[in-house]
Amino acid sequence: MNNTGILEIKHYSKSYGGEKKAADDVSLTVMGGDIYGFIGHNGAGKSTTIRAVVGVLDFTEGEIYIDGHSVKEEPMECKRVTAYIPDNPDLYENLTGIQYLNFVADVFDISAADREERIKKYADTFEITEALGDLISSYSHGMKQKVAIISALIHEPKLLVLDEPFVGLDPKAAFTLKEIMHEMCEKGTAIFFSTHVLDVAEKLCNKVAIIKKGKIIASGTMEELTEGHSLEEAFLEVENEK
Amino acid sequence: MKSKIILLKTMLRSTSLSNIYKYTKDKKKKKKVIASCIGLFCLYAMLMGYSIAMCVGYGKLNIIDGVPVMCALIISAFSFISTIFKTNGYLFNFKEYDMLMALPFEARTVAACKFMYMYMKSLPWYLSISFAMMIGYGYFARPSIIGYVLWIILTFFLPIIPMLFAAFIGFLIARVSSGFRKSNFIQTVLTFIFVIFCFSLQYIIDAIFEDDKVEVVLTKTSEMMDQAGNVYFPAGWFSGAVKEFTVSDILLLIGVSVLLFSVVFHIVGNSYRRINSSLKSHAAMKKYKMTGQKKRSVVNAIAFKEFRRMTGSTVYMTNGAMGEVLAVLLGIVTLVIGFDNIISLITKGAPVDSAILQPAIPFIVYFFIGMVATTAFTPSLEGKNYWILQSLPIDKKTVAKGKMLFNMYLTVPFMTFGILCLCISAKVTVINTILYIILGAALCAFSTAWGCVCGIRHMRLDWENEIEVIKQSAAVAIYMFPNMFVVMGLIVLVVILGMHTDHRVLTLIFILIASILAGLSYLRVMALSNKKGW
Repeated sequence: MNNTGILEIKHYSKSYGGEKKAADDVSLTVMGGDIYGFIGHNGAGKSTTIRAVVGVLDFTEGEIYIDGHSVKEEPMECKRVTAYIPDNPDLYENLTGIQYLNFVADVFDISAADREERIKKYADTFEITEALGDLISSYSHGMKQKVAIISALIHEPKLLVLDEPFVGLDPKAAFTLKEIMHEMCEKGTAIFFSTHVLDVAEKLCNKVAIIKKGKIIASGTMEELTEGHSLEEAFLEVENEK
Repeated sequence: MKSKIILLKTMLRSTSLSNIYKYTKDKKKKKKVIASCIGLFCLYAMLMGYSIAMCVGYGKLNIIDGVPVMCALIISAFSFISTIFKTNGYLFNFKEYDMLMALPFEARTVAACKFMYMYMKSLPWYLSISFAMMIGYGYFARPSIIGYVLWIILTFFLPIIPMLFAAFIGFLIARVSSGFRKSNFIQTVLTFIFVIFCFSLQYIIDAIFEDDKVEVVLTKTSEMMDQAGNVYFPAGWFSGAVKEFTVSDILLLIGVSVLLFSVVFHIVGNSYRRINSSLKSHAAMKKYKMTGQKKRSVVNAIAFKEFRRMTGSTVYMTNGAMGEVLAVLLGIVTLVIGFDNIISLITKGAPVDSAILQPAIPFIVYFFIGMVATTAFTPSLEGKNYWILQSLPIDKKTVAKGKMLFNMYLTVPFMTFGILCLCISAKVTVINTILYIILGAALCAFSTAWGCVCGIRHMRLDWENEIEVIKQSAAVAIYMFPNMFVVMGLIVLVVILGMHTDHRVLTLIFILIASILAGLSYLRVMALSNKKGW
């Protein structure tokens, strides 16, 4: 297992102009090989943190480092090693699935042979190969999600960031994604994802952070956090305490 | 450079009709693509016909030399105004922002590609005007082959400078707005202020020419064009390049365009992420208390939903309510300056008896109010939220009624205000004022219902950016262009008829015609709601 800190969030805060902070002094580290779950209520600050990590959201307080590069100072270096799957992917609807995947492969300068092999591998796994020639506008939410996932895996990122990745996926695709996450984790990829589904987090993650009203109220390895209880019990206990 | 080309190519492909036609399996969609292409070609042809006719006029009057400057001015004004309305939505605050910014693109690359995309998409309009004017100019002026070659090449550079100015102003507006909690509201207000300033600019320029004591007569038009070329340098450069093949003019037009592009996107790129972060986020107060809930009728509830949709979108607000704002402005300015002075300003002091223009008052105000009917795009604007209406137990006719009611709420008060101001200023009798207000309301009803017919017939839900439906959709074009030209014709017709017919009788006739047309359009809306089941 790789012991390098691929993602380091240090004292990150974000306010949207209101008095309350959407993220307040968030600090955490995701190592290579970690599957790090980020859990909390709706509006707790999960997406605000994730969007800052992937370079979409501007921020002034704190620092975020990916593979040793600052997201603020060297965004391009960070983005080259990161892949992001949003909760509701806004893809180019009037491109076909394969056109979109080729676009992402072009952006990451993936060779023709590599992209063909990877697209085929993941498209077959997610059983979407036959639909790749259709316009994305004709896809269901789950199919769009699958295309977004394939586009994220195509360049073999060092850090994979997912926002509620299992929403909209059918059970088989959800299982496949979990398998892929394990596979990537074994290769040293750091995975950071938000979820509401505590059962999934409990089975999948080795580390977890709980966020409430923008603040991390608990974090650590799964064993440290649960102390023999279920994650659901631990989550509710911590939530009620703070 | 490579990443810019990849991104631009993908952006263009993702909205190209040919890509949809090639890959869609939906036959209805294929038909719609063909219809859109035909519609677009008709509009380009109309524009080309108008441009050639203008050149023929200039040729017959022996002032063909002014055509290159005129062409440059028309394209510049057209590109400037349309970019102002499109900056928010295309350059900022667009849907796929998260997806693009998470990929390894620099912020300035995304901004520059978005601008280039805007440029490429509007290029056919500018080419239609320019090439048609080139043909007209060529027929009368017989330039050498170099003149044609330069004209064609430089046409591609003509819209860049005005578009950059408009984009930069849009950037400044977005940057200022992003500092406020209600950034969308501030952005809307600032855009309104700027557009009103642009409309006033015409009179400021007129004042400049008048100060220079330039006679505004037909035989001096060529001189005026030269003057315009001196005031707006790129127009002068274009004219110098195509008429005299001046190398410095060619280099200046190309060089300044390229240089400005680099400078603008260097500046925009530096705060692009901050502005978009702010515009795409909404401050949460979390202080709501459950009090004072009101029950509304279904039709009113839909109308209210439309109102909230409008106030929540700068693009909707600036496009949908611009006519109303201009009508209010016209009313206030007329009250302050006086009806006679306004007429004198518009007709450049020609001896026109303002009394003969009185019956045209409702049409003058309607020219602004009827410019856009929200009903022409609100059915399409449902987009991906269409399922909400589909899944609710609401009759589709009721949905249409709600959308029409909102447009009536939006237009009638402003129409009434505008007519009242003009009538007071023109000292119109009380009875005539009432009749004009009734005619105004009938025109609003027609505009609303006819807009809705266009909106339902050409409904398009699979849009990427709301500008595509609010500003560039077939429904809006089919509603807007004939409406504008007919109203301009009606203003002239009413004035001519008013000289021979009693004003009250004339107004009553037009009330009747407008009401019948409104009624027929309303019945068509109801029939379409049933038939299409949208």
